[in-house]
Amino acid sequence: MASTNCWRCLARPSQRLLLAPVSVAAASAPTSATFSTSAQQLSSKASSDGSKHIRSGKRLVLGRKKRNPDRTKPPQPGERKAFRKRIQLSNDNALKVPGLDVLSSEGVVNPESVGKIFGLPVEVVDQLRACEAFKSSQNWSLFRSPHTLVRKETVDLAKQMTDAIEKKETLRLVLTGNRGSGKSILGLQALATGFLNKWVVINIPEGQELTTASTEYAPTPNSEMFSQPVYTVKLMQAIHQTNHQVLSQHKVQLDHMQLPISVTRNMTLAGLLNATKEPDFAWPVFQAFWKELLLPGRPPILFSLDGLAHIMRISEYRSPAFELIHSHDLSLVRMFTDALGGKTAFPNGAAILGVTAKGNAPMIPSMEKAIAQAAAAQKGEEPPSRDPFFRKYDERVFDTLRGVKVLDVRGVSKTEARALMEYWAASGILRSRIDERSVSEKWTMSGNGVVAEMERVVLHDLRET
Amino acid sequence: MASKINPWRSLRCLAVRTRPSRAHQHVPTVTARAVVPLGMRGFADTISTPPPTNDGDLPPSEIIPQPYEPRPIEPFADNFMNEEAIAALEQAAAGQDALDLIAEGLKYGMPKPPSKQDQLQNRHHPVIHQITRMLMRDGKLSKAEKHVSLILNYLRTSPPPKISPARPLLPGAPPPEQLPLNPLLYLTLAIDSVAPIVRVRSLKGMAGGGSALDVPEPIDARARRRQAIIWILDIVNKKRSMGSGRKQFAARFGQEIVSVVEGRSAAWDRRQLLHKTGTASRANLAHPALVGFKRKF
Repeated sequence: MASTNCWRCLARPSQRLLLAPVSVAAASAPTSATFSTSAQQLSSKASSDGSKHIRSGKRLVLGRKKRNPDRTKPPQPGERKAFRKRIQLSNDNALKVPGLDVLSSEGVVNPESVGKIFGLPVEVVDQLRACEAFKSSQNWSLFRSPHTLVRKETVDLAKQMTDAIEKKETLRLVLTGNRGSGKSILGLQALATGFLNKWVVINIPEGQELTTASTEYAPTPNSEMFSQPVYTVKLMQAIHQTNHQVLSQHKVQLDHMQLPISVTRNMTLAGLLNATKEPDFAWPVFQAFWKELLLPGRPPILFSLDGLAHIMRISEYRSPAFELIHSHDLSLVRMFTDALGGKTAFPNGAAILGVTAKGNAPMIPSMEKAIAQAAAAQKGEEPPSRDPFFRKYDERVFDTLRGVKVLDVRGVSKTEARALMEYWAASGILRSRIDERSVSEKWTMSGNGVVAEMERVVLHDLRET
Repeated sequence: MASKINPWRSLRCLAVRTRPSRAHQHVPTVTARAVVPLGMRGFADTISTPPPTNDGDLPPSEIIPQPYEPRPIEPFADNFMNEEAIAALEQAAAGQDALDLIAEGLKYGMPKPPSKQDQLQNRHHPVIHQITRMLMRDGKLSKAEKHVSLILNYLRTSPPPKISPARPLLPGAPPPEQLPLNPLLYLTLAIDSVAPIVRVRSLKGMAGGGSALDVPEPIDARARRRQAIIWILDIVNKKRSMGSGRKQFAARFGQEIVSVVEGRSAAWDRRQLLHKTGTASRANLAHPALVGFKRKF
């Protein structure tokens, strides 16, 4: 039976009207509001406070995920990229390794220096840094100062380059090898050799920067080619910075009447490079510089490019007719491919170096076949024939790579591995005993001495030691 | 009276003989066996070899009993392996190390075999193991491992920390100059130093009237580290990234580790708060509800 009385105040329903003032007064007290969620109370609360509900605890509150805005300063434009690209070449925590020689032009061709660690001279480090030979994925930042292992391939390559240049010939060579086997480092050592021998060193650090449509391009007048003015300015600045000492000893010999800037005979080649920073004038000036370099009596040239596969395909640029441009129609790339293909004559001797990459590289069947054919020809074997059912072979790639020498980079030998691990241990980075057994173990673990794998196995090892 | 359908009447004439369990005790066994044609029953009282039946195509004159030549045992594996194993067993029986013998032909000796409890998954340092699992997103363990090794590289390359006296590290910590070259110790020291020593459990409705009862309880090392890593990861995930590329997470995490060691991290405040709560709720351990609660279990 239902009670006729109110449960709360024990008053009769008829009497509640009389008690109304009391209940209103009690509404503000927390004890009286235990089960009341009336809209009237909520609205009165909202009007008085306006910000939050009184009960913040066990109540479903939607929209709580609002984050308070980040008060810290956002990164400046370009700062994030600078972080990504930053090259750190020294680590003050690492121990100094005493008793290591500094790399010299004689040492790098000496067969006795195979399997030794050499320091890079300070000025060469600056030059290498200016021509972007160091990469952020390499582990330079772990050690006190840049040192490099001279391996058999290093001496071989340096010897080939110096021999060819002494005879005023052109060495056209492609560095291949498995992923992480040290192709880029070998390219860096070749550049260092060039700097040590006072050659004119031109380095294109990433082939993909030229072909992935990330830099500006413009059609070259009176030709079907396209120049990349901004990149050319950058390259000229880099060449000027790295080869200033060599280039300032040579003066301009030709008349460059067609150039938009005035070039006089008493201008040095370094001055010619530095004459303009205007992207519109960059390509003609660079062409003039290249012509000057090819005159007899000039210093020898080392022209190197990393990431060869990227310039052996159709680029991502479009012509005015909205057709994709072949990479070899970009004039800077054309300059390199002509040199690599042997179309350019170098009267002072030159070394043209194409470094393939495996980590970030498109599959180019033409390039692979052409390199395989070149390698077979180098060994005196029957060159492998093309796949007769493959339609997309690129004849320009075959022309470029015809007759090049191929240097296949493989893993380091065990003595070289030991030198490397001893250097790591002496720097304090590797905290374990280095003996024949451990070297042999790591060498085997890293696929017979693939250097990047050795770093993974040894330096990045997280095991309990 | 015998039943008409008793089968024994007809069965009595059948000879019941058992098959010999050891058939050839008195027979030149193998030779005799060799001649017995397949399918011939051997009876216990068979003394001589029965003459071969002429049910086949072969005329009886062609079957001449051949002199027995024992066939050599067909080897299943190279026998020297067995010999080696037997030699090792003998050596073990003599109380010597059985592995010495096996290691004789190896260039660098026998590698230490894993013990029974060793698991492939547990090959890393416990802190590394834990932190890798906690960093992991979407089950990508190798990516998390890459992050951890980059974090260690960040610690290797960052300058030695300046330790603040207000936030003491674990006793027995090495001087800060030694930390960067031992990044694992650096990381462990940071995590262990900021780790709380208690957990405050909130027992729902135990305080009476529906309110929760906070009770501190001690936790083991792994759980302490877990809490510390959670705090650090919270801060790291909220921190704005000032870089890009594969090293940026490692840099953020490494910066936080450095700031923990230097005593600047907000994880210290959370630790302090937790310890304060734990101290305040110590009194609840004697709460009658809790005592009853404990007695119940």
